[in-house]
Parts: sequence; C-alpha cells; structure tokens
Amino acid sequence: MTDVLLKADAIFRRFGGVVALKGVDLVQYRGETVGMIGPNGSGKTTFVNVISGHLRPNSGTVAFEGRSFAGRKPFQIAQAGLTRTYQAVRVFGELTVRENVATALVDATDPATPDQVAELADWLRIGHRQESPAGSLTLMEQRQVELLMRLVQRPRLMMLDEPVGGLSSAEVRTMIALLAELKTRCTIFVIEHTMKVIRELADKVVVLMAGEKLAEGSPAEILADQRVIDRYLGSADA
Amino acid sequence: MTGSFKTGGSASWATALGPLAAFAVIAVALPFAFAGNRYLAFVIGVTMIHVTWTSGMNLLYGYTGLMPLMFAGIAGISAYTVVDLTAAGWSFWAALPVGAFAASVAGAILGLPSLRLKGFYFTLCSLVIQTVITLGFVYFAGLTNGDTGISQIALPTLPGGVSLVGTPYDLVLSIAAVASVAILIAIVRSSLGRRLIAIREDDELAGMLGINVTGYKVAAFFIGSMFAGIGGALYAPYIGFISPRSFDVLISMNIWLMVAFGGRGTIWGPVVGAALLAPLAFLLQDYYMVKDIVYGLLIIAVIALMPGGIASGLTVSRKVSASVARLNAEQRKLK
Repeated sequence: MTDVLLKADAIFRRFGGVVALKGVDLVQYRGETVGMIGPNGSGKTTFVNVISGHLRPNSGTVAFEGRSFAGRKPFQIAQAGLTRTYQAVRVFGELTVRENVATALVDATDPATPDQVAELADWLRIGHRQESPAGSLTLMEQRQVELLMRLVQRPRLMMLDEPVGGLSSAEVRTMIALLAELKTRCTIFVIEHTMKVIRELADKVVVLMAGEKLAEGSPAEILADQRVIDRYLGSADA
Repeated sequence: MTGSFKTGGSASWATALGPLAAFAVIAVALPFAFAGNRYLAFVIGVTMIHVTWTSGMNLLYGYTGLMPLMFAGIAGISAYTVVDLTAAGWSFWAALPVGAFAASVAGAILGLPSLRLKGFYFTLCSLVIQTVITLGFVYFAGLTNGDTGISQIALPTLPGGVSLVGTPYDLVLSIAAVASVAILIAIVRSSLGRRLIAIREDDELAGMLGINVTGYKVAAFFIGSMFAGIGGALYAPYIGFISPRSFDVLISMNIWLMVAFGGRGTIWGPVVGAALLAPLAFLLQDYYMVKDIVYGLLIIAVIALMPGGIASGLTVSRKVSASVARLNAEQRKLK
C-alpha cells in the first residue's frame, strides 16, 4: 500500500473565533479504510467538508491522486472521483430511486454501465424499489440509495459521514456488513461517533479531539492508547 | 434479478408526443376556426403568446426551482429591441432573434443573484430587478418613448412585402407556442432537464453528484429568457402598442400564476393555466379594478390551497403517494 490516494496537510479552518480544525494531517492509501472518530464538535464533519470542497480551508492543502484540490468546487471534486455522503440522509425525495440514480450518472466522469448499475442495485438490495419515490423509503433504504448513487459514479474515494446514524441495531449490523463488502469496491473513509463501526471496518483510525489529531493507528493500537482512553473512549460519549 | 434496474430515460417518447400532436392540431386549427371573429381570434393569439411565456417560466420556476418575477421585464427588453430595430428599418424576422438573444443575455445576467440567494430571497430580489427594469423603460424615453409608450407598431412583413395580419399572424403565434412546448419537452427529457430538476430538488446534493450548479442555473436563465424574448417580440406588433405597463410586475405575476395554477413542473399544467387565465383578462376588461383583485385572490388561493396546481389535482401528487407509502412502511415495521 504505497499508492497515496488522499493527502491532507495541516488543514486549518476557523469559524469566527472558533478554530474547528487546528492543522490536521492525513494520508490515506488506495484500498485502505480510514476511520475518523471523536466526540461531537471535534471537527470530523468540518474535515470532510473541507476535503469535499464545501468549505475552503483557511490554510493547508488537499491533494487527491497527487493533484491539488485548491480552489476546486464540490462538483469538480466529485468529477475527480471523490464523493461523500451526509450525516443526515440526503436523496432527492420526490424523485424515484431510478431517477435518483439517473441523476447521479449524468455528470459522472466514469459512469457505471447499465449492467454494472443493475448489479450494484441488486447487491445493495434496492433494485426492487426503483420505481418508488426515494422519500417514501425507510431510512435504511435511503442509505442504500445514497450508496448506490455514489457507487454508479465509480468513485475512487468515498467519504461516509456517520453511515449508521439513526439506524436500528439490526440495521446497523446489515450496514456494517454492506460497508465491509463496499471496501472491496471502493476506498472508503468513515466518520463515526463511536468505536463500534470503526473497529470492524477500519485499517487505520484517526482520533480527532477539539480540532486536533489526538492519535492515529490501527484499531487495536487506538483501543490500547492511554491518552485516547483517558480523554475519549473512557468517557460516556464513546 | 440482475439486469432489472433500468437506467434509460423516463416514459417513452410516444407518451409525450401524443399530447403534443393533439395540442399542435388544436393550436393550428383555432386561428382558422375563429377566422370570422377577429376578437376571439385575437384572444386566442394572446393566449398563445402566454403559452410561449409560461413555457419559459415553467422551465425556470417549475423545473429549476427559481421564481423570476422579472420575467415580463425581460420580455419587454426584447419587445423594445425589436420595435426599435424595425423602426430603424430592420426586417422583423431579423430583429426577432436579436431581441430574443438580448433577452437571453439580460436574463442570464439578471439571474446571477440566484447563485447566492435561495428560494424566497431570490424571488424578492427579482421583484426589485423587475421594478428597476420598469423604471428603466420609463427613464430611457429615447428608446422606449417613456410612459407614453410606442403605438402603431408596424406589422411584420412576409417575403413579397405582404403584411402579416389576421389569421396568418395568429398562426405564427400558434406555431411559436407549439414549438415552445416541444422545446420544453425536449429539454425536460434530456440530461439538461435531469440536471435542472436535481438543482430544484437539492442544489448542494446536485453539486456533490458532479453537476455544475452555477453553470446550469445560468443556462436555465439564458434559455428561459429566450422564451420570454420570443414572446415579447411577437407581442409588440400583434397588440400594436407597448408601454412600461405592458411588461410590469403584474404581468410577471400573471405568467407565474398561470404556471403555478396549472401545475409547475408539469408540461401541460402551465399550458392549461395559460388557456384558462389569459382569456380571463379579456372577460374582465370592463371591470378593470376587479381584474387585479381576481388575480390577487387566485394567487392566494393557489399558494394556500393548491401549491401543486390543477395538474396535481388530477394525478395524486408524488408527495402524497410518498407519505402514504412511508406510513405503510412504518405500519409494516410496527407489525
């Protein structure tokens, strides 16, 4: 794993007087699953927003496959092969699942073929819902549609912001199984609030605390890290 | 089950072309049917201009989710351009594309605030823009003859020097209306339409899917304003008189009302809206004050009682069917 996919260098981001990110670094290799954990307000979503172009960093650089993302808009970053999901599920609720997918295909740089789309829809067990308005689906199904819309674009990196948020415990297990398979299709970066999901999926864990990287390592290393235990995992929040 | 997921376009072209053919036949037949009654033929002609206008308004409001209340002002820019050019000796047919292009450029520029302002805030801004355009029409009296307006506008001439008058002019308006609806259908069914609908539904998500939201909003304004401009250019010689009041905020709101009343974001709803509401102005001509009150009440009624317009009354709206399906799903879960 020497192929660097994403490289973020000293990302700073302020909101007024609040410094949300205080120089966060990250290197993610192709095929490596990175998990980011941290308490509420530690800057996880802000970090994804900066990488995906929704927010400009005050300083610091982002490079994807060796190319700088400076000044690029979200749609250009998406076309470059980096996609993301949102913490709250986000689909075109009034449109059918099929229309949602067709919309995802329209400006994809390297769209999936119709056969590949059908295969992905079946794999995500959402093919039978193609004529339903996406807004009529259950939260779990909407999460599956979200993944399908990203996967048909054949991205090289998918950033998932709390993919199991709001799901029942049975659905969480299904989603973790889906994400474990997803890892074989696309490199993923997962934000999670808790260690549960991260422990099962991630090759590398980054712990964010008040906008700073507190620790980085394998799930086992993180679980054994005394600073992480004292400041985060030991608290009721994790 | 593999291979069951369809990625092609929506319903077949036949389902869209059938109604279009029917509309084309009716629109072309009407001028002949009423050739003996100049007044009714004129009402139909004005209605056809409104079909052209509502097609553009529908593209912007119905499909892209932008509510431009400066739409009539943009039509006016084209109308004055064409009238001034023909007065300077241009052929109407050469002036028409220039006027339409001027409207498109003006619309694309005046639509720029929509890149920053969302929903209602852009609508408010467009209201101000409309007011400024109207003041511009009054102020630049050298080009517009100010409040007095321009009367006795020459009719377009056909090759051979014959004036386009009566039924042939009605026919041109019908053809323009049919062409506008046909172009709207083509846009909506194209990938451009898919992008615009995505922008209407959630522009941030659209951007995240790789859609250039800024570029396509500007494109929507350019194309939508072209409909405004073509309608404005055809309107001026047909009525024979234009003034700033011909293209003021009330006209913008009437066009918007036709789209909203008929059913925004549907192809035929706004056509029905124009067919019902454009003649209303003539029926109420003797009751000048009442006319504006009727329009005002209609606007309130549409917003409060039927936000989906007539078209959503005919077919159960997706929102309703979506919430019914969601309830069913939740009930299944509870069992």
